[in-house]
Amino acid sequence: MSLRAKETLVKNRWRYIAFVAGFFLFVAPFALLTRAVYFLVGNTAEPTLHSVCFRMPIDWIFGGRFYSIFGSSWFMAAFVFTVIISSIFFGAVFCGWLCPVGAVSEALSRAVPIPKRFRIRIRDTTLTVSMRYGFLVGFIIIAFLVGYKLASDQFGSICCRYCSSSVLQNFASALFEDPSAVGYWHSGSIITLLFWLLIGGLMFSGGRGWCLFFCPLGALSGLAHKIGGRLGFYRVEHNKGICTGCNRCQSLCPMWAIKNDHTVERTLCVNCKECIHACDAYKLVRGKSIEDN
Amino acid sequence: MKKSYILGFVLMVAATLSLGSYSAALGNSELLHFWIAVPAGNITSPIVVRGAGPPISMSPIVVDLQSRGVLKNLLQPQLEGLSTHWIYNIGKKPVKIRLSLTNLPPDITVDWDVNSGFGYDEATHTFTSMLNPGSSIPNLGIDWIFHIPAYYLDEPVIYRGGLEVIDADTNTVLTFIPIEFVNGAVSNDTSGGGSCH
Repeated sequence: MSLRAKETLVKNRWRYIAFVAGFFLFVAPFALLTRAVYFLVGNTAEPTLHSVCFRMPIDWIFGGRFYSIFGSSWFMAAFVFTVIISSIFFGAVFCGWLCPVGAVSEALSRAVPIPKRFRIRIRDTTLTVSMRYGFLVGFIIIAFLVGYKLASDQFGSICCRYCSSSVLQNFASALFEDPSAVGYWHSGSIITLLFWLLIGGLMFSGGRGWCLFFCPLGALSGLAHKIGGRLGFYRVEHNKGICTGCNRCQSLCPMWAIKNDHTVERTLCVNCKECIHACDAYKLVRGKSIEDN
Repeated sequence: MKKSYILGFVLMVAATLSLGSYSAALGNSELLHFWIAVPAGNITSPIVVRGAGPPISMSPIVVDLQSRGVLKNLLQPQLEGLSTHWIYNIGKKPVKIRLSLTNLPPDITVDWDVNSGFGYDEATHTFTSMLNPGSSIPNLGIDWIFHIPAYYLDEPVIYRGGLEVIDADTNTVLTFIPIEFVNGAVSNDTSGGGSCH
């Protein structure tokens, strides 16, 4: 391990520990958070990562299935709303610190030493944002068309058919419980595996391809963070005065959120603090901006 | 605004819609999801059953293995799955649900992957709690994974049987959903679903 990699590991240790905690909190056979909630409400189902689906409540809302939010899947909906609302105040910290799907692909990207020149990265943050919200709009259109039965023969929901949570849960179940959990694959899960881990994880710089381009919860959390940042809640800011222009921040940011002028694109930023730990020009601030101070 | 931003946005909308369209195509042939209502009798054609609780669309299930995706046919043709998240009691009295797959050839084995808010007896495929009228089994997820020997894959009909939903207390068949796995036949509209919700 290079000296710089070691330094990154040490400086960001709390986030990497949080990755592990996120795995134990949400992924079966542990799923400690979900298990605790199920225990409190007397639900005897065995919780899995699906019990806190990051997509279905969003699909229900845009598909007009509000009743599902208040049905037996209320915990899913409560979880998703909590993630989005908390992003206003603290940034998309669930994405950056706890989400096991993003953590696994990012960890894989960091662990496998592929030369940088073979890794894909879009340097133009506006293009990344355009693509990210293009996906969200497509997701909403499908939820609407399927939910209101306007084109339910032509479109199927992409929630379950392309589910990275399902693929991750199957791997975890195979590892800790029953190897046959990874026995069955359908075309959607194969496509998901390819894009989430192989392309989005290994080939995309930072390993967050899935988070950037295929996660509606991440996209909505990014919007919430943008609003929160404007209102003065926690956000990462760049201090031009002490920037040396080395561009290390850009290459370190797993979410490609550092613009070419080194300011932060908040719809992408997950407050992971990698840039803060790498460079003094970045600070997590609340209230007045660095320039105002 | 730069053209590339608009292009990136439009491309991603189009890619997502394409994935949705592909999802619809796969929904009837790979891990088909379907709804179950009891009592609904023998389901011989597409039907919407009404009673206590919501109306439930049901139909005989026909899975055409030729309609599966390229990746599936290429990488794992011998495994096929069915799935449900919904068993509703639309009747007037509580029932204890037992499930049974009928007419399975001895060389086609099926894995039952069941998770639910009710207790479940793996040996008899029976839920141990009573399902009340108007209710569904909470947090239900059942996947049936069929292991199909290679020599069946060229047969016109690979499996012709069905799912019996039985009142475990009286052994009465409450609902029977015919299931066929075929090769290249013209599929009926089988799913009444196709997604997880």
